[in-house]
Amino acid sequence: MSEIFIDNVRYEFEGKPMVLQFMLDQGLDHPFFCYHPSLSIPANCRQCYVEAGTPVMNRETGSWELDENGDRVIRYFPKLMTSCSLEATDGMVIKTHRTSELVKRGHKDVLEFILMNHPLDCPICDQAGECPLQIQTYKYGPEGSRFEHKKVHKPKRIKLGPRVILDAERCINCTRCVRFTEEISKTDQLTIISRGDKNYPAVAPGTEFDDAYSLNTVDICPVGALTSADFRFKARVWEMNQTPGIDITNGKGCNIDVWTRDNLILRITPRYNQAVNDHWMPDFGREDIRRMNENRISKPQMKLDGTSIRSSWNNAELSVAEAIAGAKADEILFIGSAFSSIEDNFALTKYAKSVGADEVVFVPNIVKGSGDGFLIDDDQYPNTNGCRLLGQKELTADALKKLLAKSFKVVISLEDNLVGRGVMSSEDLNSKYFVYFGSNNNETSAIADLVIPISNSVETPSTYINVDGRAQRTTPAKETIYTNRRLNLEMSVGRLDRFGTKFDNWVNDKNRVDCIPAWEFIERVLTLQDKQNGYESSEDLIHELASTNSSFSGLNYNVMDDEQGVVLTDAVKTKAKTA
Amino acid sequence: MEIDWKSYTPVLIPNIPNLKDIDVYEKNGGYEQLKKVLKQKAHTPESLVNLVKAANIRGRGGAGFNAGLKWSFMPKPDGGTRYIAANGDESEPGTFKDRVIFERNPHLFIEGAILAGFAMTITAVYVYIRGEYRDQINMMQKAVDDAYKKGYLGKNILGSGFDLDMYVHSGAGAYICGEESSLMESLEGKRGYPRVKPPFPAQKGLWGRPTTINNIETLANVPLVVKNGSEWYTSIGAKTHPGPVLYGISGHVNRPGVYEFPTGMLITDLIDKVCMGMRGGKKVKAVIPGGSSTPPLRGDELDGVRMDADSLRTAGSMMGTAGMIIMDEDTDIVDVVWRISHFYHHESCGQCTPCREGTGFLEKTLIKIRDGHGEMRDLDLLLDLCTQMEGRTICALADAAAWPVRFAVTRFREDFEKRVKKTVYALA
Repeated sequence: MSEIFIDNVRYEFEGKPMVLQFMLDQGLDHPFFCYHPSLSIPANCRQCYVEAGTPVMNRETGSWELDENGDRVIRYFPKLMTSCSLEATDGMVIKTHRTSELVKRGHKDVLEFILMNHPLDCPICDQAGECPLQIQTYKYGPEGSRFEHKKVHKPKRIKLGPRVILDAERCINCTRCVRFTEEISKTDQLTIISRGDKNYPAVAPGTEFDDAYSLNTVDICPVGALTSADFRFKARVWEMNQTPGIDITNGKGCNIDVWTRDNLILRITPRYNQAVNDHWMPDFGREDIRRMNENRISKPQMKLDGTSIRSSWNNAELSVAEAIAGAKADEILFIGSAFSSIEDNFALTKYAKSVGADEVVFVPNIVKGSGDGFLIDDDQYPNTNGCRLLGQKELTADALKKLLAKSFKVVISLEDNLVGRGVMSSEDLNSKYFVYFGSNNNETSAIADLVIPISNSVETPSTYINVDGRAQRTTPAKETIYTNRRLNLEMSVGRLDRFGTKFDNWVNDKNRVDCIPAWEFIERVLTLQDKQNGYESSEDLIHELASTNSSFSGLNYNVMDDEQGVVLTDAVKTKAKTA
Repeated sequence: MEIDWKSYTPVLIPNIPNLKDIDVYEKNGGYEQLKKVLKQKAHTPESLVNLVKAANIRGRGGAGFNAGLKWSFMPKPDGGTRYIAANGDESEPGTFKDRVIFERNPHLFIEGAILAGFAMTITAVYVYIRGEYRDQINMMQKAVDDAYKKGYLGKNILGSGFDLDMYVHSGAGAYICGEESSLMESLEGKRGYPRVKPPFPAQKGLWGRPTTINNIETLANVPLVVKNGSEWYTSIGAKTHPGPVLYGISGHVNRPGVYEFPTGMLITDLIDKVCMGMRGGKKVKAVIPGGSSTPPLRGDELDGVRMDADSLRTAGSMMGTAGMIIMDEDTDIVDVVWRISHFYHHESCGQCTPCREGTGFLEKTLIKIRDGHGEMRDLDLLLDLCTQMEGRTICALADAAAWPVRFAVTRFREDFEKRVKKTVYALA
């Protein structure tokens, strides 16, 4: 075990950590811009200066040399060192801004330089509020600027690609975005052009920044230079609530943060999870905000003489109960969904068992060759492994068609756009009563006899088991008609929710969808027959699942939250078998 | 110590017509040292490194580091590729000495590079020449082609089993690519950003392989050392900084040009005797001894200052590339410093914040002073900015940009004070 002294406090370390990362790991605040733990270290912003010294080793005795007071003789580096590129060595002494005036001055000097040609347009900048430059200027910056000359002007509003817009004046040339395309997405689409204080990132002439991961550069940009074309000028950071979630557009299950305001999802950003997605996520996962906000089904809908009309919840519950009661057990087909959560699939599976149906089937949506080996997997649905572990029967599209040709009277399907995917068509459902649980209008909901609007992954806690067998869950970020941010302890409450009033512009009840989780609807149907399971929250289902199905033993929300997901060994085995 | 420069015969650029042609070069003892080493096995790689180390050839590119010592940092050969990058990207204002080697004696450099390659078991030499030297690149290419034809380059050189390839590479007009690590980036086809050290080039250089970067003039000294021995070399010029050196003298002297003389020459001798005095008999106001990045010396403080590392350090400057700029008493120092500052502002690669922004800040402040809008406080601001830049960046460009300003303001303060508004603010 080696030791290092930072601001006269002794720390122990193993291996060869860089001093900056070591300090951050110890919770010591230190300014930096260009450094990113997942990228290479260019040491170009020069913000993370420290004074560093190493003790002098006596070559003959092999021990440290001591001065007359018995203290170690420390030989300091003649220059300020950038801690990001400084490897910790045994006995090293580090002085930061907390103990060294020189370092304090160094931090001020660099910030004065960085702010010199920075437009200082924080009031209209999207990054304001979550801007490392803004934060660090408040903490370490100079009181003012001595720069009395004209700033360097560079192009603004450059559309680098379909999703990313550059404001070159705000850029501080940290090269994080360039290194991202070089080292992480490996497309090499960005580079810095021009020289000196005129340089800024750009794409090669005639090309565009259409990297499948391009929006990650917006996240890692330490200023507002790179902005998302979609989110640009939409909201201030401090008006939004940030809630952890899971990306369900792909089997990888990237960890995300969901940003909401007025019950609308305004943006999705990746959340760090070393085991799944590191700091990154693919761009199409962020476009999922449309599915969450738009084209939602609100209130149950039934077909009456071919036209769709709105129905009450009571009516919908009774309709399902009647349809089930009117059919024999082998005349009911339950279709699970790899798109829906474990909770909903489990409720459906259990319901199917209780009415005597022999099995629940599902059709996975795996497009071979669509993955890239990084964060985009062949599996288009987030919960294929979950359906397998729940004992649902995996069917191909053809097998489902064959099955539907049998004499089923009632078909109940969890949210999965089977028609849109081309797995089945309306002919397959002729003379069958088709109940569809869905959150968005689509081709399948259009042909259903009864559509039950269900909460989606950002409205109710939902667990998914990704392609690597990792169980992860979302937390509600968006209110439905039946939930309330102030009462639901799982929902994040922002500053405006806490301090705003009903009469503020900021907080309102708009955009709340009339829907409930699928398990809750099934529970209500069962309640009609006095067969209810007594579930009060989605967590109850996971508790029951963990105690009844050995594949899920030990699983609960707390452990998934604390450990950023739990790997289910059975799921890993299933994966090995199918692969 | 007196340097006998009057009887000195040039060895780097001897006065032989058409020496640039390989036949003439061979007739005058060219490539003999190579034959001595490769054919007659006069040296092993180790003994050659030790010889050069003993000769104390101090790098002519500016830093003045012992070339042999630098060679000895190369790790043991592991069978993989190893490189020499010969730095001919001389772009610093006031420096134009390598150009003379390209034009007058390219084969001396090539022979030196091959010997260096043998000493360090190198597989390829890249000769990186500044892009504006279009003619010189062509001359160099021709010289390399000739050397290939004669079997001094390529596979199995002179039947010794030693292989070496040499490539002439043109720069694209960036001063920063003369910095050794950005030169390597540039050779790799990347943007010329200096690299963070460590790792040093000897461990991880071109394409991650051991690489040594030497100045053209440094390598041109190697055949001379092999021929005459290290004692001969150390006996030339200053004791701690020996050898012949190409003085590139420009400015307000009667006969500017490149002169080969021993190190340790008195600056006054160079001006008054070698360059035949100042133009129009004017007084010397300032001397920049080694390219624009070295601190300027005052004309009235030149007595006894010699052109070698130690003497110049005592005088408060540096040897640099020995590209001297001599300025007479009519020179406007503010204008000179602004122009130097403009150069560094233009050439900063923009990687590190202090240099990217600081060079612009310096230039803009100097423009303000030059145009007569400056105030007294701007002089302190200039010095403060220099402190904020010096030693705070990956490479030395920030220092190179800051030093001329710092030492001009401190050594020629009266010139600056004349140009700024004498603002006195009464406190009460």
